[in-house]
Amino acid sequence: MTETLAIGQRLDRADGRDKVTGHATYVADVKLPGMLHAKLLRSPHAHARILSINVERARALAGVRCVLTAKDLDRLEREPSSRARAILAVDRVRYHGQPIAAVAADDVHTAEEAIDLIEVEYDVLPAVVDPLQSLEDGAPLVREQATETDDSEALAHGSVTAGEVKVAGNKPTNVTSRVHYHRGDVEAGFAAADVVVEKTYHIGHVHQGYMEPRATIATWDAQDRLTFYVSAQGQFSIRSELSNVLGIPESKIKIFAMEIGGGFGAKIQPIIEPIAAYLAKRTRRPVKLVLTRGEDLIAATPAPEFIMEVKSGAKKDGTLTAVKARVIMDPGCFPGGPLNNACLLIGCLYRFPNLDVEGIEVLTHKPSQAAYRAPGAHHGTFAIESQMDAMARALGIDRFEFRLKNCIVEGDLMAHGEPWPNNGMKQVLQAMAEHPIWKNRASAPNRGVGFAVGGWLGGIQPASASVRMNPDGSLCVITGAIDLTGTNTAFRQIAAAELGLPAEDITVQTGDTDSAPYAGTSAGSKVIYAVGGAVQAAAADARRQILEIASHELEASPADLEISDGKVRVKGTAERSVSLSHIGSASTRYGGKYEPVFGRGSVAVTQRSPGFSGQLAEVSVDPDTGKVSILQYACVQDVGKAINPTLVEGQMQGGSVQGIGMGLSEELVYSKEGRLLNQSLLDYRKMTAIDLPKIDTVIVEVPSPFGPFGAKGVGEPPIVPGAAAIANAVRDATNRDFPDLPITPDKVVRALRQ
Amino acid sequence: MSKQPLEMTVNGEPTEVLVQPYQTLLEVLREEVGMTGVKEGCGTGDCGCCTVILDGKPVTSCLVLALQAQSRPVRTVEGLGDGDALDPIQEAFIRHGALQCGFCIPGAVVMARALLDATPRPNEDEIRWAMAGNLCRCTGYTKWVEAIQDVVDQTTEGAMK
Amino acid sequence: MYKFDFVAPRSPEDAVAQLRDRGPGGKLLAGGTDLLLQTKARVVKPAYVVDLSHLQDLERLEHHPGEGLWIGAMARARDIQLSPLFQNGFSIVADGAGLIGSIQIRNLATVGGNLCNAAPSADVAPPLIAAGARAEIIGPDGTRSVPMDEFFLGPRRTVLGPTELLLGVWVPEPAARSGGHYLRHTPRKEMDIAVVGVGSTITLDGERCADARIALGAVAPTPVRARGAEEALRGQVVSPDLIEEAARLAAEDARPISDVRGSAEFRRHLVAVLTRRTLTAAWNIAKQGGTGR
Repeated sequence: MTETLAIGQRLDRADGRDKVTGHATYVADVKLPGMLHAKLLRSPHAHARILSINVERARALAGVRCVLTAKDLDRLEREPSSRARAILAVDRVRYHGQPIAAVAADDVHTAEEAIDLIEVEYDVLPAVVDPLQSLEDGAPLVREQATETDDSEALAHGSVTAGEVKVAGNKPTNVTSRVHYHRGDVEAGFAAADVVVEKTYHIGHVHQGYMEPRATIATWDAQDRLTFYVSAQGQFSIRSELSNVLGIPESKIKIFAMEIGGGFGAKIQPIIEPIAAYLAKRTRRPVKLVLTRGEDLIAATPAPEFIMEVKSGAKKDGTLTAVKARVIMDPGCFPGGPLNNACLLIGCLYRFPNLDVEGIEVLTHKPSQAAYRAPGAHHGTFAIESQMDAMARALGIDRFEFRLKNCIVEGDLMAHGEPWPNNGMKQVLQAMAEHPIWKNRASAPNRGVGFAVGGWLGGIQPASASVRMNPDGSLCVITGAIDLTGTNTAFRQIAAAELGLPAEDITVQTGDTDSAPYAGTSAGSKVIYAVGGAVQAAAADARRQILEIASHELEASPADLEISDGKVRVKGTAERSVSLSHIGSASTRYGGKYEPVFGRGSVAVTQRSPGFSGQLAEVSVDPDTGKVSILQYACVQDVGKAINPTLVEGQMQGGSVQGIGMGLSEELVYSKEGRLLNQSLLDYRKMTAIDLPKIDTVIVEVPSPFGPFGAKGVGEPPIVPGAAAIANAVRDATNRDFPDLPITPDKVVRALRQ
Repeated sequence: MSKQPLEMTVNGEPTEVLVQPYQTLLEVLREEVGMTGVKEGCGTGDCGCCTVILDGKPVTSCLVLALQAQSRPVRTVEGLGDGDALDPIQEAFIRHGALQCGFCIPGAVVMARALLDATPRPNEDEIRWAMAGNLCRCTGYTKWVEAIQDVVDQTTEGAMK
Repeated sequence: MYKFDFVAPRSPEDAVAQLRDRGPGGKLLAGGTDLLLQTKARVVKPAYVVDLSHLQDLERLEHHPGEGLWIGAMARARDIQLSPLFQNGFSIVADGAGLIGSIQIRNLATVGGNLCNAAPSADVAPPLIAAGARAEIIGPDGTRSVPMDEFFLGPRRTVLGPTELLLGVWVPEPAARSGGHYLRHTPRKEMDIAVVGVGSTITLDGERCADARIALGAVAPTPVRARGAEEALRGQVVSPDLIEEAARLAAEDARPISDVRGSAEFRRHLVAVLTRRTLTAAWNIAKQGGTGR
């Protein structure tokens, strides 16, 4: 039966051919008539007052069409409440790379030349860069007053917001948010423990690492409608936010979401679109703004920095007794970030009867953060999975047994009082324990095996989709969801399964904001889960309409009909049938007597389906140079139902490598004045093909009661445990702890010498 | 300064354009010759997205001045394959799911083609060393290696027939 | 990109003439993998560049058996990595060239560019110094020859005058029973700039070290000789313990700074490690009669 074949089919990606031939169109590939090129002048200082800006020489340069500073823009707040609203600095700079002025010119080289001609006088102020220093009395202030936290991005990712305590008050502070979870009595818990492990974990800022630098084109039409070509994870969400920032109704903004060269959570906030819109308005020409890689590393929106002081205890029979943590999150210079996620995961992955987790969000003079694929989860998981390993070793209990004894199951209460939904954490752990990397591990000098498990709660969002029949009888799925991860291919399969057709016969379109049905951002691991459900419903609706038409043509009841081989036929007969192309024609031609087939589906799933991923690593360590080589690596993940195993494996492998990078080589390094020191991909080190082995994948399927065909969100879980798996493996190889990421060679050498 | 004429062969076609002396080969291919398949991922030679084959050798075109390609043949991703037929590398990348967002893929398939032209039967280590100059954030490289190994196996089988 | 003019000379002499006639503000362009980074970053702002990429005469790799090996300044790192000429006595040069960047970068990067850009971490510098090479330079007044270990004056500064051009490097034929090896430390396996680079050559006379040259990269303003370590080796019977001592002394000869790529302390530690490893490898090659890899 085709419907079984489509689900689980390794269907080739629909956009594969476009991408391997270079035909896929990204923002930077688009050329519009009369288009100008923009460049931004950026502050070399992390914290400074702007005393004067002189743009005369820049304006006078041949080929320059427009130079803007803050005083040329209406609606600029001196103290903007969010990063998107900080279009150009008004009189104060709060991060290295903050835009001060913008130029639009005939070509990009002239624009750069103009930038060089702008003179700015700064009064450099002391910057606070280290979050611990920012907590101290007398630290330089990042904002002139604390305001409400900006939660919109956290909501887009489906992270939880209960438990937050907003900060107000009179004392100047860089603290902008606090959370606190507690249950039971942690002191009693520690008193009852036979081992207590206490460590401080640190993960600095990392860049999401998308290969396509941020880019946008803005253009106004004669009716004052603003159109953007964007590289973004959500066309409707970005439109809403731009409407907010620019003060233009959503109906007057149109978004063309081009192919996106990676996002991983960073391309949700519109940080370059607003200034492009102003330049386009002023020049009355389309304006293209493409960031260089250097600009993107310096001044985009990296993941926040976390310092996690964690203390946990367990009894000698392996029962956990208590966990206490103070989690400090540094989101850079604007508030908002996944503090909640990190705090929850520290306390809620395992059954701690007593817990006390305090979270503090504190600002520094660094670029503000954005989500990074399972935001906050890799941080919290790194801490708790390192603790679990340390406690297991101290107790002399097998590292898997210890986790299996204590892992949460459905119904266990999380720290904020909500029960864990149905999930596969146990099954993932069990599958990991069977993997050859674990089963065949042998003790050898300077070699070690480690693992970690992590999860993502899963996102939820209302979504709708439609399935339309073309005059020739072919079918097309239309959604508003950006195809970030290959979800369009999965939609074909879902629709095919529902309709009883081969997936190859279905096409998928992502419409623009004028024509597509609403969908939320492609983030939060909710595209298949939510939009996929809408696609399924839309396909079922289309099927019903097709059978309705066929029942008239064949004079049979719809219940007696089936779809097979491109035809609708009476079950059990070959002769009484009508082709889909006939139905298509009959429902669209002049004088036709049937309505066009247009299936619609909307869903509003409100139940989450968490996804768990577990990873194992075998490493070898060169004790003289400190270099860590990964000999073997595996990712085990519960996906509910693998609609397309190839796509799922790709997500698992890609996420794993991001986690490994966080563990071994990636960090944005700032000077004490707040300048970014590693401004290129030479010194911001992502893993290359020679740094990695093949990532083995094991798909576990614990069906979700809510996702289409039992599917769960796949995108985020695989990044969560990698850093912890690597740290645990290096610990196994060296007998030393590595609570400070990344585990660079110098840290290994230093640790071995102690 | 004034533009200078540049004559080169791009994907087998004689091409003549006027370029600024300071324009890179990457920029000229994208803006003047219409080869927008060649991507800029970093502009500093660190990511391989801009890989083209210049005079038979794979190079990062962001670090080549256009005028340095004077009288030389250039092959971009658009020049892979034969008419409508894809290069076996391109087919293998699709079949193995070795691409996701696709931004790094033009550079990667060009580099893989250059690798196999120079070394028809590389082992996994050689494949990884050769592809180490092409960064990818989405795939983790495993399916790249499998795709390239598949083409090697097919070529070997084909040669053995 | 900074806006500059472009000149394509017809010969090395013509390149020199262009530099002389067009006046200051000119930069020689070899592979572009350093210069174009610098012009994009606007740390170098040339009025014009003189492109050497079509001067085939500068690409020559020629072995004169018994005398030495000529490496033209425009010889690409990738060609050196693959050339059979560097498989035996001159393998240390291929060690260095083969570590620059990626294959795509090595197809562009040149020996001349790597040397004349004169980054303290330049990967062909320690090998060529350890091999006792000489730089052959041409200027308006003719040619001159400079030993490789006198070629560098400081970060990004060499003995080249503003109207001079490096023609190439002459590497003398190593004595029988010699060996050389270059290693560097980078956080990843490829693509990185050396945190520390060490090139060591050893010549044996019986069991004794007749000569040793150890060159350190990225641990001083220029590549430097570890003379204390060399002294400790000369005339002595070579052994792992002696090598260990030389490694320790080499670390003392280093004058590293701390920067984003590594701390001074870690660099010193690595000098000892890499000196030990390269001396051991060079010694093994020398013991086998100097046939390289």
